[in-house]
Amino acid sequence: MFVARPIAADHRDLIHDVSFDFHGRRMATCSSDQSVKVWDKSENGDWRCTASWKTHSGSVWRVTWAHPEFGQVLASCSFDRTAVVWEEIVGESNDKLRGQSHWVKRTTLVDSRTSVTDVKFAPKHMGLMLATCSADGVVRIYEAPDVMNLSQWSLQHEISCKLSCSCISWNPSSSRAHSPMIAVGSDDNSPNILAKVQIYEYNENTRKYAKAETLMTVTDPVHDIAFAPNLGRSFHILAVATKDVRIFTLKPVRKELTSSGGLTKFEIQIVAQFDNHNSQVWRVSWNITGTVLASSGDDGCVRLWKANYMDNWKCTGILKGNGSPVNGSSQQGVFNASLGSANTSLQNSLNGSAKHTF
Amino acid sequence: MSGSKPDILWAPHHVDRFVVCDSELSLYHIESAVSSELKAGSLRLSEETTATLLSINSDTPYMKCVAWYPKYDPECLLAVGQANGRVVLTSLGQDHNSKSKELIGKEFVPKHARQCNTLAWNPLDSNWLAAGLDKHRADFSVLIWDISSKYTPESAVATEKVRLSAGDTEAGLVVTKPLYELGQNDACLSLCWLPRDQKLLLAGMHRNLAIFDLRNTSQKMFVNTKAVQGVTVDPYFHDRVASFYEGQVAIWDLRKFEKPVLTLTEQPKPLTKVTWCPTRTGLLATLTRDSNIIRLYDMQHTPTPIGDETEPTIIERSVQPCDNYIASFAWHPTSQNRMVVVTPNRTMSDFTVFERISLAWSPVTSLMWACGRHLYECTEEGKASSLEKDIATKMRLRALSRYGLDTEQVWRNHLLLTGNKGSLVYAGIKSIVKSSLGTTESLRHRRSGSDRQADIIQYLSEERSLALQLCGWIKKGMDLDVEPFLNSLEQEGDWERAAAVALFNLDIRRAIQILNKGASSGKGDLNLNVVAMALSGYTDEKNSLWREMCSTLRLQLNNPYLCAMFAFLTSESGSYDGVLYENKVAVRDRVAFACKFLSDAQLNRFIEKLTNELKDAGNLEGILLTGLTKDGVDLMESYVDRTGDVQTASYCMLQGSPSDVLKDERVQYWIENYRNLLDAWRFWHKRAEFDIHRSKLDPSSKPLAQVFVSCNFCGKSISYSCSAIPHQGRGFSQYGVSGSPTKSKVTSCPGCRKPLPRCALCLINMGTPVSSCPGVSKSDEKVDLSKDKKLAQFNNWFTWCHNCRHGGHAGHMLSWFRDHTECPVSACSCKCMQLDTTGNLIPAETIQP
Repeated sequence: MFVARPIAADHRDLIHDVSFDFHGRRMATCSSDQSVKVWDKSENGDWRCTASWKTHSGSVWRVTWAHPEFGQVLASCSFDRTAVVWEEIVGESNDKLRGQSHWVKRTTLVDSRTSVTDVKFAPKHMGLMLATCSADGVVRIYEAPDVMNLSQWSLQHEISCKLSCSCISWNPSSSRAHSPMIAVGSDDNSPNILAKVQIYEYNENTRKYAKAETLMTVTDPVHDIAFAPNLGRSFHILAVATKDVRIFTLKPVRKELTSSGGLTKFEIQIVAQFDNHNSQVWRVSWNITGTVLASSGDDGCVRLWKANYMDNWKCTGILKGNGSPVNGSSQQGVFNASLGSANTSLQNSLNGSAKHTF
Repeated sequence: MSGSKPDILWAPHHVDRFVVCDSELSLYHIESAVSSELKAGSLRLSEETTATLLSINSDTPYMKCVAWYPKYDPECLLAVGQANGRVVLTSLGQDHNSKSKELIGKEFVPKHARQCNTLAWNPLDSNWLAAGLDKHRADFSVLIWDISSKYTPESAVATEKVRLSAGDTEAGLVVTKPLYELGQNDACLSLCWLPRDQKLLLAGMHRNLAIFDLRNTSQKMFVNTKAVQGVTVDPYFHDRVASFYEGQVAIWDLRKFEKPVLTLTEQPKPLTKVTWCPTRTGLLATLTRDSNIIRLYDMQHTPTPIGDETEPTIIERSVQPCDNYIASFAWHPTSQNRMVVVTPNRTMSDFTVFERISLAWSPVTSLMWACGRHLYECTEEGKASSLEKDIATKMRLRALSRYGLDTEQVWRNHLLLTGNKGSLVYAGIKSIVKSSLGTTESLRHRRSGSDRQADIIQYLSEERSLALQLCGWIKKGMDLDVEPFLNSLEQEGDWERAAAVALFNLDIRRAIQILNKGASSGKGDLNLNVVAMALSGYTDEKNSLWREMCSTLRLQLNNPYLCAMFAFLTSESGSYDGVLYENKVAVRDRVAFACKFLSDAQLNRFIEKLTNELKDAGNLEGILLTGLTKDGVDLMESYVDRTGDVQTASYCMLQGSPSDVLKDERVQYWIENYRNLLDAWRFWHKRAEFDIHRSKLDPSSKPLAQVFVSCNFCGKSISYSCSAIPHQGRGFSQYGVSGSPTKSKVTSCPGCRKPLPRCALCLINMGTPVSSCPGVSKSDEKVDLSKDKKLAQFNNWFTWCHNCRHGGHAGHMLSWFRDHTECPVSACSCKCMQLDTTGNLIPAETIQP
């Protein structure tokens, strides 16, 4: 049983993103009010805002934390065409006395000519790296060569995706068997049938990112994309938020079968497809083990999805956006999708288009 | 709004009232009603709200458009535009005070009768009411009426009025002279006042949008466009205006009025209504004909000043408030993102458009989401059964309860086999059985308890009995005696399994005895007696009735062991598929059974097949067969793929052979992932315990010393234990700490005999034992000093700040920083304690109960 309780956020406009740090003790939120807020969890479990500052001159779309071994570092991206790296400074101001922490701008990444729609730090084992994507369809990968100096970032890669990008996700796997990989989603809604999810893989030989896969079945605008925490699995799980929730698995075909040095080939399967939101799905997020997926949709509901041992995904919880539970009996209109139908829609999808290999 | 298509309007000031208008005006009162039963006469609008009809007004036929008086008082005053171009003021309010009485029933009559298309109250001067009319030759199409005027009708118009509405002849209520007349020789389709100035009126005329300035009526600003319907001003950005034409919405910026700043994607059906949300910036709702969807355009940024050419970011969304077609909708004036929709057959529904929810999981299984301007934290509460719990929760709880550190199950292989067969230490039954090829002797047995001739062949070998040991049927060193095992099963009340094992050891009497015991025991199942009875009737005869009955009825038995027992008794010698492939029987029992009754070739084939099956299924029981070998890693990989349980995988594989299994990339990866998980949960103590446990089993995983401390004077390491390791040239850690707590009496460098630095607090050279900390109460020290000698020694260690390089005895430093944030050294303002945010985090285990 999931229970939700409200927290006074005090943002003056819509909140676009919520992000937890590695330990889950800190949280960052960003909003159309052009600010970012940092929250710390007190010992009794309450969240307290310890910093709030104007970060951009436009709506702030996303905010994300770096691994704590690089310090207390945030990155934000905005409609103002920039992405910014922030670092918390301690011991140099009186802010601590007021219970506030002090964040300074370390660098502004100004390469994009359009709104920067997403920003994500690479997995820790790759070093301090940052990927951004922008509405003009370019994914940029930056690196801080000296992790002690956050004001120097060099643009390492520029990947042109041809389509307006809305979201990116790094493959979190740190296994040496898996090359660095990044998935890009596009919310391009022009009436073409181009695939909206592209997956790029780093090639050791050419030292470049090259397109490894395209999810041909995803042709509607994609609003969010998320690789599941890998947790020792031999394959990758990718959740896509489009007009429905989709879960893909990417199984690397064993190296000895592929020509050495080239890109990894993947066997891609769609393992779940749910239209229970009955409308656009905005966000997807995995829990720490990659076993529970949360999704939010235009029906104003948050849904939780979980697979059983047989890899059958099911809805295990629904909550309305205002935290109240959805009671199954008196649902009307859009809230009609019940727990039971999750399974049938999965079955349909499996019978229909699923289990195809790209 | 002719009969068939109702429109809907919220009262601008009474937040709980709205009016539905088609051929008549119906005023509804909306209230929250969470309970499921409805009050008499009320309609359910949503899960939380119901509406009751307050009043109906059918005084004004031929309604074309309605506009609600913008002021609070008089209550529920509406202007109705009619098909003949007249505008009538009417009321739905119950209280008829003097002010409203004056106004109600007032009519504003144009010179020539034609349809009134639109009405707009001036938001600043509420006496002004603009009406947009169809074209009539060269007449004006935009008339602005002053509702406070008291002109009497001219005679010519009066006759016309009498003709049209004979009932109303009261003089003084009909106004024929408008305040302003605009839009000559044109038609007006839509109107709205610009909030910038009281005297600016935006009108959608035939083929153009025009801004009329009442200060100078001869001038107008206009732009030619087809999008002239439904002009409406953004309540948050007064220069932004939307209008539509067919299926297309155009957004205008009045500061650069030449062309639309953008047009929204065309919809296949013609639009009927376009409205800005009054409670939220940049949200435009649109409705098309014959549709049950309201399409929303979320313009997520403020319009940029002129000259800045940025592509706007618009998020298109659609909501479906009800299943039927929607005739019209209305935003609630104050309630966030709320609207009421009405269908052609006048069913209504109350609906809130949710903001896009963004969400994030925290590492500790709680979910945070942001909906609009609000945050919600969602946690799992209440006791979910262990089956429902997610693996993340399970692993957390298991880690807290020292999972993996106590269990002896996984190293049973170890204990059984040490010294016996070195090469088989980590092997599973699969390789044990392989190695037994050719050494097997077969024994012919008679099933005891029967007198007839039916030989059952049993196989024996050293390896097979080893396998039986691994399966738990027999104990090490003993002969093939299953009695202890049976006894322990009996004690656990596992009667069926005990009986089956007894039977598989060809002791049918013991099996019957066990079943009887089970039936008579407290919680026992009486059916066991029946089974025992059936068992006692066992006969070898191939065609006997018993055999026939057993083989058909056994499939109806629920318990897999009972099922397997009868399968065994009814099967031909040498083919035991009924037992071997009874999937619900524990793998070890099936394997043990196979080891007893299958020939070498059969056994190998069976084990091979079963191993592959279990490997594919990721069934951990298969470890028995594979052992902690490469095969076992394959099996574990499939288990991890299915469950994500790296915890079990890590602990399990740690027991494997260091050279083979532990070097496997996958195993290393699981361990790395599990450690990372413990770190994220701040289970640092557990992670450290895991590392210690790991380094015992895999010495190569021991990390090297991280810090070497050298003497200020001679540059040699001051630590005794590390002295063998070369450390010169590490100049960066000048001030010293002994990593080894073993020697505490020495206050000098072992190399040059110079004294070690002093503690910043007690000012005594490091190396001396700590005197009890001053000013620290007993309660603070409860763990530190008294309980454990090792902890007491920790107080003697010395620590230092990486930033200011001041330091001292750990105990003294800890007690100082309990109350201070700054360094204890005078004139040093270093905030040593706050330098590291992670350092201030407390391990989660210490908080958990």
